[in-house]
Amino acid sequence: MAASMAVSRGIRWLGTAAWRVTPVGARAASGLSKDMLPGPYPRTPEERAAAAKKYNMRVEDYEPYPDDGFGYGDYPKLPDHSQHERDPWYDWDHSELRLNWGEPMHFDFDMYTRNRVDTSPTPVSWNTMCKHFFGFFGFMMFMFWLGEVFPSYRPVCKQHFVYNLGFFSALGS
Amino acid sequence: MNFMLNSMILLSIVILTLPLMINLAFPHKTNHFPAYCKNAVKLAFLTSLPPLILFVYADTSHHTTWSHHTSINTLNLSMSFKLDHFSIIFIPIAFYVTWSILEFSLWYMHTDPKIHQFFKYLITFLLTMIILVSANNLFQLFIGWEGVGIMSFMLIGWWYGRSDANTAALQAVLYNRIGDIGFMLTMAWLMINNNSWDLQHIFMTNMNTLALLGLIIAATGKSAQFGLHPWLPSAMEGPTPVSALLHSSTMVVAGIFLLIRFHPMMENNNTALTTALCLGATTTLFTAMCAITQNDIKKIVAFSTSSQLGLMMVTIGLNQPHLAFLHICTHAFFKAMLFLCSGSIIHSLNNEQDIRKMGGLLHILPITSSALMTGSLALMGTPFLAGFYSKDSIIEAMNTSYINSWAMVMTLIATSLTAIYSLRIIYFALLNQPRFPPMSPINENNPNLTNPITRLALGSIFAAFILTMNIPPTSMVPMTMPPALKLTALIVTIIGLIIPMELNLLINKLPTTPMIHTDNFSNMLGYFTHLFHRMYPLANLQMGQHIATMLIDLNWYEKTGPKGQANLHNTTSSYITSTQKGLIKTYFLSFIITIPAIFAMIT
Repeated sequence: MAASMAVSRGIRWLGTAAWRVTPVGARAASGLSKDMLPGPYPRTPEERAAAAKKYNMRVEDYEPYPDDGFGYGDYPKLPDHSQHERDPWYDWDHSELRLNWGEPMHFDFDMYTRNRVDTSPTPVSWNTMCKHFFGFFGFMMFMFWLGEVFPSYRPVCKQHFVYNLGFFSALGS
Repeated sequence: MNFMLNSMILLSIVILTLPLMINLAFPHKTNHFPAYCKNAVKLAFLTSLPPLILFVYADTSHHTTWSHHTSINTLNLSMSFKLDHFSIIFIPIAFYVTWSILEFSLWYMHTDPKIHQFFKYLITFLLTMIILVSANNLFQLFIGWEGVGIMSFMLIGWWYGRSDANTAALQAVLYNRIGDIGFMLTMAWLMINNNSWDLQHIFMTNMNTLALLGLIIAATGKSAQFGLHPWLPSAMEGPTPVSALLHSSTMVVAGIFLLIRFHPMMENNNTALTTALCLGATTTLFTAMCAITQNDIKKIVAFSTSSQLGLMMVTIGLNQPHLAFLHICTHAFFKAMLFLCSGSIIHSLNNEQDIRKMGGLLHILPITSSALMTGSLALMGTPFLAGFYSKDSIIEAMNTSYINSWAMVMTLIATSLTAIYSLRIIYFALLNQPRFPPMSPINENNPNLTNPITRLALGSIFAAFILTMNIPPTSMVPMTMPPALKLTALIVTIIGLIIPMELNLLINKLPTTPMIHTDNFSNMLGYFTHLFHRMYPLANLQMGQHIATMLIDLNWYEKTGPKGQANLHNTTSSYITSTQKGLIKTYFLSFIITIPAIFAMIT
């Protein structure tokens, strides 16, 4: 009886001690306080500075989305570059995401992972690629239409006329 | 004799299942399993030969319906096999090519620790391919269709530690799935309108354009036609035996085979035939254009495969399904051989695939070089080799038909481009001086390497002759044509050999040229992958994000909801009140009109 009480008291002490012991400088991802969450659009320079600090950015780098009713709030507008463009050989904290701990993530980060949209520069510019490909495709479609209008076939009469059958006059000659 | 044809073909299919069952029963006995698989396929090939001979000499064909499998209201499904002209000829050829590839894999995949699993996958693939080819109803065909797609996914991603291989496997599955939408559309249409998926029932009725276009979409996905083609060059991430078996001889022809099966339905529908013709012509030209500037030997052969698939689609569009089938059979031999030769070169040069780093292999690998040149000559349609009988007949049929003239011109240009890229492989890989470091010992000592290549070389030389001489033509072949039309294929091929040689000599004397747009267009595969693999995901994901997060809030709260209503009221009321200027004395003047009007009405 006394032994079981001692054991249960020891377990309870262990539980509370575990809550008390936290590594120095560590922060869990859970348990965010209200001031760590995204907030409304910053209107004053002090609010901008506070927002930049919250997102771990320099004030001169921080730029929020325009306040046009789309609900971005004070979330920073980062350049639209995907993770493909980041250095593959650098020792990132999260190697598969090519991201460091604490770094501000793009609003569409899940779209810019290495499995999804790739914005890395192409040898040929986007406009040139669109122009050349759709020009080729359009040209082919036009020429196929022209080929339907002027098909190729073996001649069927002794004298073959293009614009009319010429059957009866040809048979006579 | 029917029972012998029937039982021997079905026996050859059952022989294929034996290695799989042995592996299921004794999963740890893997030492001799690869050789056992190869011997099983060899035995299956020999078992399938008597039915072929019976068919050739006695014209026996058979449909076997086994069990009444399922009934859904009035739709009956059963397991049935159609052993006709197409399946009886294709099955031995598939077994022959697979036997050679499995023997080659004993050498190529020798150091792979999971070689037994590799062979198991290849046998499973072959089984599903035979199910597809011999199916007498669309449901069974679809089982085979999906089966080959899944095995393709597993084999392309064989080296799954490599992210490019995983991406390529996923790409193959997704593009095939887009094509499957067309297949399901046709199946649904047939279920609703014909109440049957049996080919015999379908051929007695009519199919409308929508159903046939569904089949063409399915063939576009499976046979890598233009629009759904990028998966085929990406599929070269898989091991070379996989490329040789799946992505040149058997799986990629499944789409064309489907259209050949449905040829009685297509021959009266001009829209479907024109679509097939134009699609095939675009594919054959586009992929041949991409092939001429590639530097990876396997990619060149992959684009060559895609170009020949386009040519088969053109033949379907010409309403010549038997010629398309003949080309499938001959193409299987020389294309598989080209891949095996590429594999031999790649392994000998310690996994080097860039043709700019090869050279001088003519003397070092004599059997491989001879086979490579034979295969390239067969591909180009050199007279009296395998490719000649099918390709030349196709070009003749095209020249003497009532046909879209641009499709004809495109196909002839693609034929000359075939000569260009074949010459490119031979020139860079076999001729001149070696451009690779002489580190690894290069030899052809292993019979597992030389025997399959020799066997396929014999097939590339004699197979088409044997087929054409023994099987009478099913439709009237064009008999009379001017010499120029008869020799068109040969002339176009020779032009395709001479012009690039001249251009090469010319360009070697010029200083380095700046960026050339056509070279970029060809090398980057027409920019198709760069454009569409970025546009579609971006548009879909952004639209999804905006709909999910902003549209709801923005639309329902601000545009149509309370804020929107408030704005609407504000603007309309401010507009209306702006017209009220408070000029009461002026408004009273309106009584000048109304009071006389009332008097006029009273009197």
